[in-house]
Amino acid sequence: MSQTKSLNVDYNYSVVRLFALTTVFWGIIGMAVGVLIAAQLYWPALNFDTPWLTYSRLRPLHTNAVIFAFGTSALFATSYYIVQRTCQVRLFAEKLAMFTFWGWQAVIISAVITLPMGLTSSKEYAELEWPIDILITLVWVSYAIVFFGTLVKRKTSHIYVANWFLGGFILTVAALHIVNSMAMPVSAFKSYSIYAGAVDAMIQWWYGHNAVGFLLTAGFLGMMYYFVPKQAGRPVYSYRLSIVHFWALIALYIWAGPHHLHYTALPDWTQSLGMVMSVVLFVPSWGGMINGIMTLSGAWHKLKTDPILRFLIVSLSFYGMSTFEGPMMAIKSVNALSHYTDWTIGHVHSGALGWVAMISIGAIYHLIPVLYNQGRMYSISLINTHFWLHTIGVVLYIVAMWISGITQGMMWRAVNTDGTLTYSFVQSLEASMPFYLMRFIGGVFVVAGMLLMAYNVYKTVRAKDESLQPVPAVA
Amino acid sequence: MLMEYATIHSIFTVILFVAFIAFVIWAYSKKRKTDFDQAANLVFEDEQKAQQKTKQESDHE
Repeated sequence: MSQTKSLNVDYNYSVVRLFALTTVFWGIIGMAVGVLIAAQLYWPALNFDTPWLTYSRLRPLHTNAVIFAFGTSALFATSYYIVQRTCQVRLFAEKLAMFTFWGWQAVIISAVITLPMGLTSSKEYAELEWPIDILITLVWVSYAIVFFGTLVKRKTSHIYVANWFLGGFILTVAALHIVNSMAMPVSAFKSYSIYAGAVDAMIQWWYGHNAVGFLLTAGFLGMMYYFVPKQAGRPVYSYRLSIVHFWALIALYIWAGPHHLHYTALPDWTQSLGMVMSVVLFVPSWGGMINGIMTLSGAWHKLKTDPILRFLIVSLSFYGMSTFEGPMMAIKSVNALSHYTDWTIGHVHSGALGWVAMISIGAIYHLIPVLYNQGRMYSISLINTHFWLHTIGVVLYIVAMWISGITQGMMWRAVNTDGTLTYSFVQSLEASMPFYLMRFIGGVFVVAGMLLMAYNVYKTVRAKDESLQPVPAVA
Repeated sequence: MLMEYATIHSIFTVILFVAFIAFVIWAYSKKRKTDFDQAANLVFEDEQKAQQKTKQESDHE
């Protein structure tokens, strides 16, 4: 791994470095806010009777910070890196790439200020008000120009599969954001959606689920198709499967949104369509997961010595788990039990902390040494500790939410022989309390791991050039 | 009279299904194998030339 200058191409790493470092920074902020609001659910007094510290305002701050600040910074960093290296060419429109960095940070800072102030469009995962939405659009279009411009001037004849996933993610997110954010401004900080009623709900969840499908899945699969083979030192298990995976995934995901609106005013046939498409989605999801994990076939021993590879492969196991759970929860009869309960929260976090965060963390651990002319991270054993802290944290979190969610679902639907409800809402809340504590502890584990990561990254970045030598590979 | 929505949708579904099968056959055809094997190794071709002495392990499939 003592390379870094590759071929005769001088890659642009400056924008990649910035995004890689902010990934770690926003990861800590976003997850710490998550831990705070988890604590508020157990100790309600923690909002200190301050409006901007209330759960209702901090919860969108948490989701925006982890998805758009942490996750999307990771996507920017890795996509700019992957597209240059697999196209063997320097980034197109580098000034514009730098604009995407500063523009995106401006979006995040605006979110950090406006969300606690209570300024929100009230659309989940699209809470930011219209002036920020316009800035997002500008940054995103620039992102597309940089990415596709780089693809156009590539030196290779083939476009590597990771770039297909990344390109699909960039284009789709542009369309989703623009369509869902269509609103009529009434003042500088207030606007109303141009859609109404069930149509508004459908547009919102078409956006919402495809934010999961394209931003949190396709984008990170692009990451997976580069970093898993790279870290394992083996080409992907089946390249053909990866192509079928791409087309099947994008063709199906776009239809899955209605499963967020089961048993609502949405037409019944639309709900059923969303359910069926969600269930079928299991197939390409698992195809991709198996493709990633099987890349290690014949080299499983590497998992023992390489905690970065372990992050990447375990992230795929969580991906498999949540893409089994998701289709199951999209079935209407299962959804009747799971919807509006903590089970949903558990599902989201097995995807977000298990899949998205772990693949990003693995990718960043791979990237930092390359970007800063080092043979390896400052401490491999700290990566290992981070791995265990994170894994224990995620497992505590999702197990707590499974138990709490199913308990809630069962208690809410229980009826006495005369048709009255067996339990009051507060009784179900009391039943959930121990699991809220367990979830909080899981969150603390995850944030502790992220702090170790920040320290490790800091020491690697500050180390003298090439002073950290790679550990000789075990034969 | 115009075709019913259901008929149009049914035809569209069949077209998509056939297109998908054709696509899978294309992806798995023998002719594509060498191209795809090469493509799969693109991740390693970003290394410096001198570095390639540590050649990757054998391909899958």
